[in-house]
Amino acid sequence: MMTRYVGWCMWLWVSFLGWAVNAKTTEFVVFPSVHELKNEASTAYQQYPVLTVRGAINREAIAPLFQAYQEKYPNVVIHYAESNTRHLYEQFLTQPESRPDIMLSPAMDLQFKLANDGYALAYDSPELANVPSDSYWRNELFGFTYEPIVTAINSDILAGETLPQSREQLLNLIRSKNHLLDDKIGLFDIQQSGLGYLAWAYDGQQSRSYGRLLEAFGTHQARLYTDTSSMLNALLKGQIFIAYNLVGAYSYRWSEQYDWIRTIMPTDYTSIIMRTAFIPRDAQQPVLAKRFIDFLLSPTGQHILANQSGITPISLNAVGPYSREALRKLPHGIFRPIPLGLELLIQTDDAKKHIIYHEWDSAMLSAEPSLSVTP
Amino acid sequence: MTKATTSIRRQLIFMVATVLILINAVALWSTHIYANRAAKESYDRLLYGSALQMAENITLLDSKVFIDLPVSAFETLALSTSDRAFYAIMNGQYQVLTGYKDLPNIPFPQLLLQSKEKEKFQPIYYEADYRHERVRFVALGKRLFEADNVNDVFIIVGQTLGARDVAAAEMSQMVLQFVTLFFFITLLLLLFVIWRVLQPLQAIKQAITERSPQELSPLEANVPSEIAPLLKSINYFMAQLDTTLSRLKRFTAEAAHQIRTPLAGLNSQAQNALDETDETLRQKQLQHILESSDVLSNTVNQLLNRATLTHRFQSHPFSPVSLDQLTKETCRELVVWALQQDVEMEYVGEVQATINGDEFALKQMLQNIIENAIKYSPKGGVVEVELMADSKKPAASWVLQIRDQGVGVPDQDKEHIFEYFYRSPDNFTSGTGIGLSIAKEVAEHHNARFHLKDNQPNGLIVEVIFPQHSEALL
Repeated sequence: MMTRYVGWCMWLWVSFLGWAVNAKTTEFVVFPSVHELKNEASTAYQQYPVLTVRGAINREAIAPLFQAYQEKYPNVVIHYAESNTRHLYEQFLTQPESRPDIMLSPAMDLQFKLANDGYALAYDSPELANVPSDSYWRNELFGFTYEPIVTAINSDILAGETLPQSREQLLNLIRSKNHLLDDKIGLFDIQQSGLGYLAWAYDGQQSRSYGRLLEAFGTHQARLYTDTSSMLNALLKGQIFIAYNLVGAYSYRWSEQYDWIRTIMPTDYTSIIMRTAFIPRDAQQPVLAKRFIDFLLSPTGQHILANQSGITPISLNAVGPYSREALRKLPHGIFRPIPLGLELLIQTDDAKKHIIYHEWDSAMLSAEPSLSVTP
Repeated sequence: MTKATTSIRRQLIFMVATVLILINAVALWSTHIYANRAAKESYDRLLYGSALQMAENITLLDSKVFIDLPVSAFETLALSTSDRAFYAIMNGQYQVLTGYKDLPNIPFPQLLLQSKEKEKFQPIYYEADYRHERVRFVALGKRLFEADNVNDVFIIVGQTLGARDVAAAEMSQMVLQFVTLFFFITLLLLLFVIWRVLQPLQAIKQAITERSPQELSPLEANVPSEIAPLLKSINYFMAQLDTTLSRLKRFTAEAAHQIRTPLAGLNSQAQNALDETDETLRQKQLQHILESSDVLSNTVNQLLNRATLTHRFQSHPFSPVSLDQLTKETCRELVVWALQQDVEMEYVGEVQATINGDEFALKQMLQNIIENAIKYSPKGGVVEVELMADSKKPAASWVLQIRDQGVGVPDQDKEHIFEYFYRSPDNFTSGTGIGLSIAKEVAEHHNARFHLKDNQPNGLIVEVIFPQHSEALL
């Protein structure tokens, strides 16, 4: 009798917890299971396993993948929360109780730091055979995309001048347009966006034009954004004319829609980032999470990325309008993939960050106070 | 119940395999240790290299520690592609300036000691468990100068052990493969060598099996010097066997003859006696029959004696026998018979001699020799029996001499006199020709030497020399 009573109490408590978590996670977008969609009446009260995903990927881009996954596992409900890369990282560390089953982020350094620090679950996915050997680290962190960091330009500013192809030409353009570009250059706020910091810090390692770019951005009071969408929106509306260091996938999609937005992969060198995924060690649904990783890296998953999501997949075998093959046909510089390895630890080093922030701040604050936009 | 046979081949193979396995095990074990150490050292060097690169980029700027870690330090660590790495830069007040804040087991006392002694900093290696895994750390100090300002910082870099374990395992694996190959090649070579070395033995066996049982000529085989003595022994044994066999053959033939002839004589003499009408002649013939049957029974007795002795030699253990008593007793028994032949007997000697031996056999020997001496003595002759002690020779001995004054034995006959049924061509005395042979066999069975010498002015001396302490007879 006693045990049954305790059992009831436990059940109540667990139900309450479930409710509490649900209440707390209103940020989640729910992808109901295929079963629920088909015959909601008969299964309304049935409990479905929930795969919780947190990521810094547009919901539109990732949704096809979720749907295909649910086609394969029809009873799985997916909860997806989208946020900025740095926020994602900090939330993971500060709220261990709300850790998801899958973490997706293009901020390779932050993802790597979590994996290196032992937060990731080891999983020998059989699908690793489909992807290049440098696209995953140990059996914990899995790169699944191959995306160039690009510059987008509103061609209205050109006024007859040729489209700049390299960073050097971009600097020339800024110099020639001078005050026309004051407050018209958009950048990631490196202190807010993990991806922005990664791309910027990697620039610092790669090129000598880094210093002059920073100086140019500073003198023209560049606007700072925390995510790609708002930056692209500003570009579309003419609030800015140049957006530096964007993720290629989104920018190319906007270029297709609006022909005055031109996307270039700088021809001096083109940084390549990988979006990475890992399963947290304390995932609630490790089995579902492992299936998701398998699906993500499988030819099917990669094919969906290359076709429906508009994100270049990591696999060389995937074909589609956004495949690596298609990417290579566009004008580009030397592809410099950011290595997925211990080199990334330097990006997370506090002292280094201090130096870069300091340089950044002193450049940005050298001119008049910037009109930062933080949507 | 046959004793389990031991095989040289099996023993050799077993020993060779044992030695090989031992050697290989030691080789494997030591390479395992070596591989671990080599992997440890090379990866420690990488770790140290990384720490040095970090140290290089730490400076004092306006009396503040300025850290600008180079990517190369992390690229060095990234050479172990699947290992985690951790680092921290700390000041002398245990404050983490950058990097991981909770690294375990930092050897501060040693670092501070190095710092205090103002000497060159030496890297300190240690291992600790950190974030679910075993991690190897290096701690390195760096002295920073700016004007009068001196400040020490400590760099700690750690990495998990995956790569070094893999490297060590790979090295061990390679050695294991090599050693296995080496083991089998050596084993095969040694098996071949063993087969090759034992080949001559096989050849001898083959040669012996292929022979007919009658063939006893020496084996002809080309064998190594180590096997040659064996072959020599076999050949010697076969020669011995050959001699023994032929002697036996001769003996059998001779014995048959010796028994058949008197029998035939007896037969015809008896026939004659039956036909004889003259009483005196018949008396004489019957007398002859009696004499012949005496000789025959003597021969048969001797043959039976010999058979008994041969049996005793194999079955009877030795016991202490008083040689002087036995000799005197034999003399006493024969003295009557001697006097009947008109021969005097004389026992000379006062020693008391005890040897280990077979009393019955020894008595047979004495009887045979003395009877022989009496038989060949002229009428009125003297047979002297003497027992002496001889301590001059390397080994002390008892010397028994039986001397007669007969015709003696010519030198060319001395070597044949011991052959069975041998009788000197000009010997007309009745005798069986077995007595001395038996005597000699008994002597030799007791490890004694048997000599024939000439007596002065004429006659024969039979000398039997017994060793005094003959352990060989025990």
